[in-house]
Amino acid sequence: MAHSASPNRKRWMMFWLLVVITIVINLPIILMVMNSFQTTEQLVNRTSILPHDLTLANYRYLNERTNFWTFLWNSFTVSGVSTITSAAIAALAGYALSRFRGRLITGYSRALFVVQMFPIILALIPLFMLFRSLGLINSPWSVIILYTVVHLPFATWMARAFFDTIPRELEDAALVDGCSRFGAFVRIVLPLSGPGLAAIGIFSFLFSYNEFFVANVFLRDQDAMTLPVGITMFMQQYSTDWGSLMAAATVTVIPTFILFLGIQKWITYGAVSGGVKG
Amino acid sequence: MSVRPLPAGETTTWRASAREWLRSGNSLPFCLLAPSIFLMLAVIAYPMLTGFYYGFTTGSLLKTGKFVGFDNYIRLLQSADFLHALWFSLIFAVFNVIGCYVLGLGLALLMNQDVPFRGFFRVALLLPWIVPSIVSIVSWRWMMADQHALFNQIIGLFGGSPIYFLSDEHWAIAAVIAIKIWRSFPFMMLSLLAALQGIDRSLYEAASLDGASRWNQFRYVTLPQLSNISIVLCLLMTIWTVNDFDTPWLLTQGGPANATENLVLLAYRYTFGRNDVGLGSAVSFITLAILMVLVVILLRRQRER
Repeated sequence: MAHSASPNRKRWMMFWLLVVITIVINLPIILMVMNSFQTTEQLVNRTSILPHDLTLANYRYLNERTNFWTFLWNSFTVSGVSTITSAAIAALAGYALSRFRGRLITGYSRALFVVQMFPIILALIPLFMLFRSLGLINSPWSVIILYTVVHLPFATWMARAFFDTIPRELEDAALVDGCSRFGAFVRIVLPLSGPGLAAIGIFSFLFSYNEFFVANVFLRDQDAMTLPVGITMFMQQYSTDWGSLMAAATVTVIPTFILFLGIQKWITYGAVSGGVKG
Repeated sequence: MSVRPLPAGETTTWRASAREWLRSGNSLPFCLLAPSIFLMLAVIAYPMLTGFYYGFTTGSLLKTGKFVGFDNYIRLLQSADFLHALWFSLIFAVFNVIGCYVLGLGLALLMNQDVPFRGFFRVALLLPWIVPSIVSIVSWRWMMADQHALFNQIIGLFGGSPIYFLSDEHWAIAAVIAIKIWRSFPFMMLSLLAALQGIDRSLYEAASLDGASRWNQFRYVTLPQLSNISIVLCLLMTIWTVNDFDTPWLLTQGGPANATENLVLLAYRYTFGRNDVGLGSAVSFITLAILMVLVVILLRRQRER
């Protein structure tokens, strides 16, 4: 090689470059966590970027004076239920896409593609009027129904990709033994795709937990709000109370991080099959 | 089929044959798809058609109004708000796609090298993408909120005068775009890294045997191999950016003076702010039409592959 630097030295130079890039890029998140341990006065009057005199005052405030736990609970229920519904429905559809061919299947996967690109605002306007006449505004079901559909495209494509990896011979054997086609799916294929379904479920949960727009339209009552909408209330009410806002944001992000670590090895797979495959 | 009155027995045979169809394997694909087709009809198709109709009326959220033909669309084409939203959607999409593609490709190339702890960086650099929009915006807002905020303190250290990121029109547009790039580059990086790892090694071996420099290898091997996936990714990102509500809404609520209002925000403001369902639906329908053009191009591209 013409380069004077040894390959090993070059590797470590790239390593340190990536360390710097990673810190700079994640600075907003790092600062948010550090700031949550500072009171708002400390934040406004501080002289250095590093925190000093750490305090839990913001967290105490969050716990005692706000609806934070209601928001968190609402987020968990909405995300949990929509995860189950979308994973179940997507598993059925994904199996159909994996094992059958025909006009129905082709048409359906086109429709899925369109759903993924659909400007959701267009659906929200008529649905808002429909849901109001049904009394579903401020009900978790309004949001759950929307999330289930919004998750369908990526969940179905992921499910299909998992089912594709399960050999058909297993089902054929079950069919010979007198099992019905659907029976073979439930008894043979589903039990084998546990890890795949779990990954789909975590993805759906993350998306629902993070979602703001739909929840913002349908959940207008403080008792019904999920966390992202609830935090915007903090933003309006205590616009300069940065300490509490940072604490709320930090607690919000904890479940996201935990779930993300659970699926990080699937994430390329999910992004590529969910986003790019048609 | 001959026309004759159906005897009582005929209905049961119809039922029996339906039952038989359900039992046989042939109905299975339909049954498997039935729940999702039902949901898509109810939550996407029905609202789309009603929304299309609302676009031709003067309704409010409380009651549907009367039919006015193309009035809403004509009003929109004459309104400065709409033309600005259209323009901002375009700017927002173009700059975001360029920004997150360049950043994503750069990082993907870096991470495609043999770097120690590569797996750790891959996870750590995805954080901006998986953090809830509200969380990242809270933290970005704190950094640029007013003249005492972090960015302005740093600018002050270098002797600059403070910049009002969220109340100056041009800076607000720049801030929305920058934060959107920050939130969306990880997806590009991840997908491009996957594509880079899929490139056949022997192409590089052949190129270096021919004496191609590193740059020429990148120019004549890497880029052409990535071109297809890049076009698909950029189209997808354009669609997602046009559909983005969270970034501009949470950062500036479309302000100052509607400078950062895209089509989705405009539709939201007309519908839920001004209670004008007709105009809001018309804006969202135009958004759908624009996106559909992109979707058709995208589907065509994917069929070619």
